[in-house]
Amino acid sequence: MKAGTHQEFEGLFSLYMAIGIGVAVLVFAAVGFALVHYRARGDRRPSRVSEMNRIEIGVATLILLIVAFLVTRTFTVEARVDSAPKEPTTIDVTAFQWGWRFVYPGQGVEVIGNSNDEPTFAVPGDEPVHFKLTSADVLHSFWIPGERFKRAAIPGRTNEFDLDFESEGTEDGLCTEFCGLRHSDMRFNVWVLSKASYRRWLAAHR
Amino acid sequence: MSRGAKGGGGPPLAWACLLLTLGAMLAIWSEGDPSSLLFLVGAIPLLALSAWNRASPAPGGPRLLARTSVPVVVVALGAALAAVGLTGGLWLVLIGSEIALFGVVWLAREVALERRGAGR
Amino acid sequence: MAGGAQIAAPAPPAPSAMGWLAATDHKRTAAKVAVAATFFFLLSGVLALVMRAELAQPGLQFVSDHTYDELFTMHGSGMIYLFLTPVALALGLYLVPLQVGAAQVAAPRLALFGFWIYLCGGLSMYSGFLTDNGAGSDTWGATLPLASSGNTPGVGMDLWVIGVGLAVLGSLLIAVTILLTIIRLRAPGMTMLRMPVFCWTMLATTFMVVASFPVMVVAMALLLAERHIGGIFDGATGSVAYQQLFWFFGHPVVYVMFFPFVGAVGEVVSTFSRKRFFGYRALVVSLLLFTALSMAVWGHHLFILGAVPNQYYSLTSQLLAVPAGIEYLDLIATMIGGAIVFRTPMLFAVGFILQFLIGGLTGIIVASPPLDYHVNGSYFIVAHFHYTLLAGSLFGLLAGFHYWFPKMTGAMLRERLGKLSFWVLVLGANLTFFPMFFLGFEGMPRRVADYAPRFGNLNLLSSIGAGFIALGILMVLANVFVSLRRREPAGDDPWGAQTLEWSTSSPPPHNNFGAALPAITSYAPLLDRREAEEPEREPRGAEASA
Repeated sequence: MKAGTHQEFEGLFSLYMAIGIGVAVLVFAAVGFALVHYRARGDRRPSRVSEMNRIEIGVATLILLIVAFLVTRTFTVEARVDSAPKEPTTIDVTAFQWGWRFVYPGQGVEVIGNSNDEPTFAVPGDEPVHFKLTSADVLHSFWIPGERFKRAAIPGRTNEFDLDFESEGTEDGLCTEFCGLRHSDMRFNVWVLSKASYRRWLAAHR
Repeated sequence: MSRGAKGGGGPPLAWACLLLTLGAMLAIWSEGDPSSLLFLVGAIPLLALSAWNRASPAPGGPRLLARTSVPVVVVALGAALAAVGLTGGLWLVLIGSEIALFGVVWLAREVALERRGAGR
Repeated sequence: MAGGAQIAAPAPPAPSAMGWLAATDHKRTAAKVAVAATFFFLLSGVLALVMRAELAQPGLQFVSDHTYDELFTMHGSGMIYLFLTPVALALGLYLVPLQVGAAQVAAPRLALFGFWIYLCGGLSMYSGFLTDNGAGSDTWGATLPLASSGNTPGVGMDLWVIGVGLAVLGSLLIAVTILLTIIRLRAPGMTMLRMPVFCWTMLATTFMVVASFPVMVVAMALLLAERHIGGIFDGATGSVAYQQLFWFFGHPVVYVMFFPFVGAVGEVVSTFSRKRFFGYRALVVSLLLFTALSMAVWGHHLFILGAVPNQYYSLTSQLLAVPAGIEYLDLIATMIGGAIVFRTPMLFAVGFILQFLIGGLTGIIVASPPLDYHVNGSYFIVAHFHYTLLAGSLFGLLAGFHYWFPKMTGAMLRERLGKLSFWVLVLGANLTFFPMFFLGFEGMPRRVADYAPRFGNLNLLSSIGAGFIALGILMVLANVFVSLRRREPAGDDPWGAQTLEWSTSSPPPHNNFGAALPAITSYAPLLDRREAEEPEREPRGAEASA
């Protein structure tokens, strides 16, 4: 079962961070040790050893194994995050210079807004929502930081993806593909509602 | 001792082969996307360099070199002017090209005089 | 003659103007490139300071939205096309002929031509500021459809496109001369496996340049045609195709701005650890693998498009950790067992090693598409690439600069000022860019002049950090100025170094080597000579008492 979008990210991110921090600590410690312990002192003569192939192969193999592990984890999570089966709730998103249009096909609901009047659209919080994203003019990008997810909006092409919002509340959304003059103002909001509230919202916006 | 000069072709050959391998992998993985052809931009010249180096190794020994070369600068400035002229001033393209051409002829003469002076 | 004859070095007689403008000597061409690159660095750096002044507080205080777009575009493209790439190649242009024992670079006229083309390119790019619609304003790579003439009108953008094409072409030509020098002009006895570490990193760099820069020149020509004629990059496929072309160059170029400096750091670490570089053969293999892989990762910039095989690019990108790890192992193992001396070049080298690591590890993070889906286009990425390029490559450049300055000028740099400038730059780099990881993660996008108020405090910290970077750079410039005015003669080999350039005078004569070359017995010929003269320390297992 697919976990929430945010959760998928957090699991994988924690893994990468743990390994990254581990490597960083190791390297900093090794460099620190070398600088302190092998400081030039009086008659210290430097070693003339300059090759140890077993260590090279060993380290390369170790890193390769770590990379193989990370890559498989990435592929697994990505397959889940990128899978986008059709869901009961579908929203067509169109990005344009410099605002957003959200259409609920079959529901007769449309929300549109721009940098002067940020649009807010609602989603049900307890099921995956299917999005179909495109652009009306130049490249844009649809980012909801709270969901840890973004996708590019490309003119002439539709990108489809599912988002599983878990907790109810308000989320920020914004454009992250530089798209011209009002790029920094191209924002939107998402209301994550309970199923009942969502249905009421739909009815109110028809 | 000129063994050193011949050995130079090895790394470009090896690297070109790595590129071709990576390009083939992408071609398969992307199901024939034309972007995998971009790997040829590097592979072909480096293979050619490797082959050329093997076929005609560097002669070694002293080389004939000028200390300054003003025509080279003239060609560069003319070409750059012509390029900038593409912003919409055809006259600028023409002037730049003329300067560059003048520079090329001057350069050819400079090189010819040099060679003659060295007794080639 | 290592560390030998102290030559009293008065300032060499200044050559005539023509002697400088049209000189074919690789050392002069490299110096011209470096001076021009420094000029563009300062110009592009000032743009960054204006940006940081604007971003210090939420709201728009100093610049308009459009001006800000020009600022970040010209800052990024100036730094990449006009500073860090050319200066990396200039370092190679100066040093490679010396390190391989050649009297001159291959095709010196071509290198001179390349310099002038690059300089004209830079002037073309910056002249956009003088036009009505301003300078280029569509990011350092441009995207389509945004960069079309309809969406970004004005001759300033055209001047940017042409300028970038020229600058990249100029760099390409210079790289070709370095490549040919290594392949064809090594001194007798210098086999490929006796070339110094720096030469190997330069060779690998020129491979990437030859394999990717032509694509960028073509891309800029096509972009110009798109702007004036149209119909080349139509629709969704056109937009994606343009990005494929750009990033095919756009990724290797960041490695072109890395490898020469890791080579410089390798030379510095060896010299100041008094040991030859550890793991030379492993390094050679990993350089070839690393740079070949670098040609195959560009799609990781396109993960969020949903239009490329993400898995292929994620795999190649994460595999980079293997050769990178070998290089780190070699650098650390060179220090271990050494007798380390802490002069300014060594400080910058260690700074490079530790700070680049942060950039590199965050790079592995964003090589995972699901993670990139969050942080792409945010300040997390801005932090990542400034750690690799500024905290990494710039520190590596400064390590090489402080190391080779005595060789190039015959004068020593001031040691205390050098060390102080290092610490100021460490403070500045980390204070400026570390907060950006958090800003991006919390939702601040890049390329914006204004942001949500909750990002204000971290942005303020970052802007203060930028002030320290500026101070550090000024200190480096002051060091150069002072050291050239009141010269402390350097002699041939002030550091007790290992490679051929230290066997000739400082600065080297026109044909690089006045006397016969020392015997070339390995990639550290001067060290070989010294070790042959000195007894080795107690062999293992020897008893404490005789």
